[in-house]
Amino acid sequence: MSQTQTIQLGSRSTGFWSKLKLTIARRTEGRGVALLAAVLIGVLLTEQTVFTAYSVTLGRIALVGLVALGLTVVILMGELDLSVASTLALAGVVTASIPDLGLGIMAGLAVGVVVGIVNAFLVAVIGINSFIATLGMLFFLRGLALVISNEAPIKLNNVEAGIAFGQPLLGPITPRILVFILVFIGLQIFISRIRVGREFLAVGGNRQAARDAGIPVKLRIFTGFIISGVVAAAAGVMNTLERTAADPIAGSTVLLASFAAAIIGGNYLKGGRGSVVGTLIGAASLGIIQVALTLAAVQVPIQQIFIGLLLLIAVTTDPNNLRAVISSIRTLRTGRGKASEPSEAGNRSTSS
Amino acid sequence: MGDPLTQVNALATEQPPKNELSTGAKVLNWMADNGIFVLTALLIGVAVIGVDGFASLQNIADVFHRAAPIGIVAVGMTFVVISGNYLDLSVVAQVATAAVILIAVSNEYGYFLAIIAAMIAATVFGIVNGVAVGYFKANAVIVTLSTTYIGLGLLRFFSGGSIFFGPYESPLATFGAGKLGPVPYSALVLLAMTLILSFVLNRTNFGFTVRSFGVNERATRLGGTNTGLVIIGAFLVTAFSAMIAGFVLAAFSNTAVSAMSTGYDFRALAAIIVGGTSVFGGKGSVMRTLLGVVFVSVLTNVLVLLNISFGYQQMALGFLIAAAVSIDALARRAGKK
Repeated sequence: MSQTQTIQLGSRSTGFWSKLKLTIARRTEGRGVALLAAVLIGVLLTEQTVFTAYSVTLGRIALVGLVALGLTVVILMGELDLSVASTLALAGVVTASIPDLGLGIMAGLAVGVVVGIVNAFLVAVIGINSFIATLGMLFFLRGLALVISNEAPIKLNNVEAGIAFGQPLLGPITPRILVFILVFIGLQIFISRIRVGREFLAVGGNRQAARDAGIPVKLRIFTGFIISGVVAAAAGVMNTLERTAADPIAGSTVLLASFAAAIIGGNYLKGGRGSVVGTLIGAASLGIIQVALTLAAVQVPIQQIFIGLLLLIAVTTDPNNLRAVISSIRTLRTGRGKASEPSEAGNRSTSS
Repeated sequence: MGDPLTQVNALATEQPPKNELSTGAKVLNWMADNGIFVLTALLIGVAVIGVDGFASLQNIADVFHRAAPIGIVAVGMTFVVISGNYLDLSVVAQVATAAVILIAVSNEYGYFLAIIAAMIAATVFGIVNGVAVGYFKANAVIVTLSTTYIGLGLLRFFSGGSIFFGPYESPLATFGAGKLGPVPYSALVLLAMTLILSFVLNRTNFGFTVRSFGVNERATRLGGTNTGLVIIGAFLVTAFSAMIAGFVLAAFSNTAVSAMSTGYDFRALAAIIVGGTSVFGGKGSVMRTLLGVVFVSVLTNVLVLLNISFGYQQMALGFLIAAAVSIDALARRAGKK
């Protein structure tokens, strides 16, 4: 079996086209690229302002994308971190409630580390499903943010620093966009080039195999949740700096947008497949759509419907899911009469 | 050695090996199964003795009023949780949609059409969620997260975000304010829903399939069940319960607005999980959820009476979910060893 496969691979990789085909088949960003292309063409035809006001568009992409980048690391391991929205809010509130700015930022980022450790503890040590564990954290942390802030937005003490933070450094690059780019480059190298990062994919692909291969699975889960927590906290700190105030219920829309970005980008929710580049593509298409819809004066509810629909379509058209759907439809069509034949039933159970 | 059948029979009649569990595992198992009874009794006891104003008739009626819509959502959502699909976040949108449709449409066209419209909306919600999860094998959390936003977006768009008021002294308002002795009608609806859904889950074929799907999806499918339909059924039960919860909520306040059910997803989940229904699927019951609803409602009420802020209430519920699931997970693992 394996021999025939290697022969096939060898014969396939001769021509340029077959090489290209192979690359495309291996990559997971297909849907993201298709959506981005469609969005770009649509926007070019209808709303060119999106590109002339590229600093706005870039800022929006950075806003949507930063949390999604952190989330990607967790999704690659087959886990999910729903608590990012509250981590963002809590980090912002903590930053604003400490008078000294430098100390506040450090404390805000520390919030992310602590949240990541607690999440990972619940998932890796106690063994709770990450959806439920982080959902509990989502509400717990939102409560904590409300308690710390006395249920009202907190003004940043050092307003000048906040305003300075919103100014572009070079061309359209504001510090937020710079941080986004740095996090993207860092995570891309981490996931694709560094051993620890590549092991994340192994943990997501087949946890038992990863354990057998000597990968410290629990440690990787801790690392992953800490990364996603810190990135979400950084997004919260930057939100607070740019707005010079912290809102304890910030981030509820970030949850939807960041998941949409990561899933449209082709990150398989059960883990093991996906890429940081895909998330970037997903975030770019979402950011451009949002800016275009806002510029076209589309009402906020319609924008919500739009993003919600995109997420629904993205999560249902996952190639891995579709394969299962097609096989189940085939089962329906061939009918149960054939299912009674033992050989047929055996084949189906192994293939599904 | 005889024919194979007798051998199999002999194996089957053989005593199963005694399940030796450590004391810690036994305690955990006991807590996962019975902790809620003790906790609820303790909480109510402490509240009656220690909290001023808890044991008044007025306050208990208030607890019932607030518990009813969340409870109705929770008993319905129990089906989705038992089927092993985590939860249905979109109940937030479903409850608000039903409430707004009921009041807005009945003001113009009467109750019959309003209820028909609300049922259509609930069916659409249930089928979209169910098809995406059951046939497309998509993750239930993400699917229902997106349908929440789609549903709320549609609702806000069509309602313009405005508040709808029912006419003064309408049958709906009379129902909402009505009481049988000290018990409001809404609590009776919750009780009726619990009994009906408990019967469906424990005594019908559909209920059995939902539970067996939660225990072992693959075995259920290979057993010849159309698992996609079962999931759609579970989401439809949730959707229709959420619709009835929306009606009850609308009747209680005689108003409806798209933001009226914020937090219902989370409170309902807290009730289900604290009640002892396992998020790993297969284990749990509707009656347990009712108990969880009582616990969560009394806890919220006590916190409000003690003047504890909303933030702390959220923290308490979040902590409860994490603690209940942790005990369940630990008991499960201890039981395996």
